[in-house]
Amino acid sequence: MQIEPYECGTRCAPSEAKLAIEGVSKIYGAGAEAVVALTPMDLMVRDGDFLCVVGPSGCGKTTLLNLVAGFDTPTGGSIRLDGQEISGPGAERGVVFQQGALFNWMNVLENVAFGPRATGHSVAVAHERALRTLQMVGLEDFVQKYPYQLSGGMQQRVGIARALTNDPEVLLMDEPFAALDQQTREGLLGEIRDLWKRTGKTILWITHSIEEALFLATHIVVMSPRPGRVRAAFRSEFGTSEDPMVAVSPEFVAAKRQIIELLSAEAPKEVLAQ
Amino acid sequence: MTDTYSGSETAALSPSGARPKKRLHDRWLTFGTFAVLLGSWAAATGTGPWEPIISPLFLPSPALVVQTFLQLWENGFQGKSLGDHIGISLYRFSTAFFFCIVLGVPLGLLMGMNKRVRAIVEPPIQAIRPIPKIALLPLFLIWFGIGNLSKIIVISAPVFPIIAISAMQAVRSVSEKKIQAAQSLGAGRWTVFSRIVLPASLPGIFTGIRVSISIAVTMLVAAELTATSEGIAWMALTAAEFLATNIVIVAVLIMALIGFGLDRLFWFLETRIVHWSGKD
Repeated sequence: MQIEPYECGTRCAPSEAKLAIEGVSKIYGAGAEAVVALTPMDLMVRDGDFLCVVGPSGCGKTTLLNLVAGFDTPTGGSIRLDGQEISGPGAERGVVFQQGALFNWMNVLENVAFGPRATGHSVAVAHERALRTLQMVGLEDFVQKYPYQLSGGMQQRVGIARALTNDPEVLLMDEPFAALDQQTREGLLGEIRDLWKRTGKTILWITHSIEEALFLATHIVVMSPRPGRVRAAFRSEFGTSEDPMVAVSPEFVAAKRQIIELLSAEAPKEVLAQ
Repeated sequence: MTDTYSGSETAALSPSGARPKKRLHDRWLTFGTFAVLLGSWAAATGTGPWEPIISPLFLPSPALVVQTFLQLWENGFQGKSLGDHIGISLYRFSTAFFFCIVLGVPLGLLMGMNKRVRAIVEPPIQAIRPIPKIALLPLFLIWFGIGNLSKIIVISAPVFPIIAISAMQAVRSVSEKKIQAAQSLGAGRWTVFSRIVLPASLPGIFTGIRVSISIAVTMLVAAELTATSEGIAWMALTAAEFLATNIVIVAVLIMALIGFGLDRLFWFLETRIVHWSGKD
């Protein structure tokens, strides 16, 4: 079992991709003060992929997510979901944030039922759907609680349930577990794997943790900063492994080392630049 | 994340054992402060077998204040009952306050939501903010007459900008993430406003309202300075002309009580309505 390089931009024809990112770039500001957040990149994501984008801060991974989510518009290129050009936020792309995105004035049930309500479903339908996803993430006993009454880990489960309740085409996750303690995070990572296997959702997962990416992903895109760009891409078998100890296997560690070396090859240049 | 509990995910939040006891202790200390103040007041004004250190002309004893209150309650002041004086002041105060909230909050929300509205409305509001509103009283008397309208307007003059600006700032500080979350769940502009921006702004709006209560009470005194012969602040000012210090103190205490009561009322509403305030 291992990881193997692949061409993330030509994995399949754009017409076959669930999410087709072609020549997308992002420049903030203009003239002398322009900052290149993302140099033109191509990325094809197929239906059911669990794609992790991993890299240090400033590599453009969050920029990429914001562009796919429609919170920001690309400077160049196009992003299409099922052939439809993305022009703004939409319910077919569910987003899970790092923290602080829950609605504190609504209880857990109302938070999770928000999506179906906002997309025009009745209260009864919305609540029924919300309860179903809350059961999936093990929060059925906390429906009447307010987000601030829950622990950080439970808050993130609410965020995941809320995004899932709309049954989106793709889930966009922006370092959802970065603010959690190690034990809570490890537990939730296992749950996310199960959730992905059960739902078969296409997931775009942003993280700075190589381990997290190896543990979850079917495909890993490694990015590096200044300017933000794709450094390499790998297919990974660890994400679908049935072995509960896969994260401490020698192959896993070797793969982690391979990616660390790839990223640290940049480091001397960085030192010189400063 | 101060209100979450760490460790076991399902453990219940248990307040530390020492807390209720400490709170009770603090209450006794607060009670003690008032007891000492009242005691020194009583002692200095000759409650007991000794001569008063301070003449009743300057500071009447607590007993005399209570007696004065009962007398005023019985006989009224200058031809009007005490209830009438309090009533007219409350009318001026609450009418001004009501219109400031009903007009100021929506205007502030609009200013927060819309750049153009902000560009049109904010500069004039900011420009009149530093003007001492009491200085405008003579103008208001000329423009709006000597009736209640000029008084309501002088009370509103400082309260309105505070409420509008705090509502605007509350809207502008709504977390971008929460708005994005709502948008990516399929919410349109109206849903984002009514279910995200508005509730998220409520704590800030309440703060603005509570801050302006004490200012409005101050302005009530200014409003009743001239061109009236009723109202609780007018009662204090008139009594002062006759050196009736006991009546002045009764009136001041009533105004303090009104301010305190209103603050408690809005505090109560705040804890009931915006239970999530400060818990992000």
